[in-house]
Amino acid sequence: MPDPVSDKSSRRKIFAIRQPVSRFQIIVSAIGIWVVFFGIWLLATETGAVNQLLVPAPQKVLVTIYELFVERGFASDVGISIGRVIVAFLAASLVAIPLGVVMGAFPAAEAIFNPFVSAWRYLPAPSFIPVLLMWFGTGEAPKLALLFIGVVFFLITLVMDHTKNVRNELIETALTLGAGRGTIVRSVILPAVLPNIVVAMRQMLAVTWTYLVIAEIVASTTGIGAMMMRARRFLHTDEIMAGIIVIGVLGLTFDLLFDRLHRWLFPYLQEKR
Amino acid sequence: MARTNETIAPGETILSLQNISKSFDLGRGRSVEAISGVSFDVKKNDICVILGPSGCGKSTVLRMIAGLETPTSGLLDLEGRQIAGPGRDRGMVFQAYTSFDWLSVRKNVEFGMKVNQVPASERRERADHFIELVGLTKFADAYPTQLSGGMRQRVAIARTLANDPELLLMDEPFGALDAETRWHMQELLVEIAETANTTIVMVTHDIEEAIFLADQIVFMSRHPGRVKEEIRPEFKLGERIADKEKVISLEGYSALERHIMRLMREEGSKE
Repeated sequence: MPDPVSDKSSRRKIFAIRQPVSRFQIIVSAIGIWVVFFGIWLLATETGAVNQLLVPAPQKVLVTIYELFVERGFASDVGISIGRVIVAFLAASLVAIPLGVVMGAFPAAEAIFNPFVSAWRYLPAPSFIPVLLMWFGTGEAPKLALLFIGVVFFLITLVMDHTKNVRNELIETALTLGAGRGTIVRSVILPAVLPNIVVAMRQMLAVTWTYLVIAEIVASTTGIGAMMMRARRFLHTDEIMAGIIVIGVLGLTFDLLFDRLHRWLFPYLQEKR
Repeated sequence: MARTNETIAPGETILSLQNISKSFDLGRGRSVEAISGVSFDVKKNDICVILGPSGCGKSTVLRMIAGLETPTSGLLDLEGRQIAGPGRDRGMVFQAYTSFDWLSVRKNVEFGMKVNQVPASERRERADHFIELVGLTKFADAYPTQLSGGMRQRVAIARTLANDPELLLMDEPFGALDAETRWHMQELLVEIAETANTTIVMVTHDIEEAIFLADQIVFMSRHPGRVKEEIRPEFKLGERIADKEKVISLEGYSALERHIMRLMREEGSKE
């Protein structure tokens, strides 16, 4: 709160502790940080401070993105990548959500699965690439398997932890209303934890994109990552950067979609007063 | 949905606690006795208030009646049956808000009936009845997150009553509410008890609340929790008065309040 006596502090500070900022300031700040980023990049390339072969100018990268999509059928690579992320992520969710909820609801289930899940979580997924290639060959299977392994164990743990945090009073209320175990899991615990599950999915989807690039760089001839590896061979840094930017935009888009999904699925959470 | 048991008339004992004790295991062979030899009876259609200082185990006693905890020894008897676990005949309202936020007020109130396979039309009818009883008809289609704390507790009360329990159990149900709302809720509860013909067992540490609501007060002392005194506020002459000022201005109110304050103080000096 500004002190009305001192006119030094009655002027609104741009950086005030824990004071909300206006929408205008938020937008200006968001654009500003990117202007600074591209400004430094542009400056570095224009002044010749960096080798343009290694760091192409930003406008060159933007032109390359356009060319990739319009002239060189990059959209099919992007489509393949998106498809891989969605298929692997759905498969991981289909396993992780029911298992995580059951582990969070029943300590007996946690006792069985948690030692297993915890151990797998600490094994770096990319270390499985050689063996996945030997098992599944070079088709879609090893890529999907890598994404699945990379995500599923974290998602199980997140879902389990959120499920454990469902307040006991809700469960006990249902018990004293005459609900049995199955009803409580389906009609109380699951709906209570669902908003947090969607948040966990949103977080893990970002991780899925990371593993996608690893999978495509190491063992693929299609997809965004494969395009970037091909570009490296011909020193096309502009194409590599174009790939990075496309992945970033895709990730952001998916994130926004999840945010929308959350609002749409849980209208009751938006109307808190 | 008819009462499952009509054999017990109002004024007869519906719930009986006999020599209930509860010890908690502290590990390494040590244990602490939280509740020791608690016995009391509750009469049908009465409001029984368990009162006592914090740490006297009053909530644990209530949770044992609900079947959410089991006594180490002793008998819990509801209409001649032993209490062995939670069930729909003993609905509980907690201090913390327990509304199911993903369901509308009406669906919340219908929840117990749906679980117990009451047909949809009857469910709807009973839900509307109890929503009206707690004065939330205008908010029947709202989400609980849109309601104030007092309104959310009214949803919880309506939800429990609509399920037609033998006992309505309440664990400091108004403890989280501001003073004014609490007072409105207490008056509402007296009206509800009259209209719904229900037996209520309630836990509180608020002396005024206990005297205003109770037909019977069970005062518990601590370390370990025991029944120190059973009081029937005779000054109300067996009448339920839903007007708090009126009760407070009755002769005998302040004497009882002083008496219970002394009991509390004795407990306080134990530490």
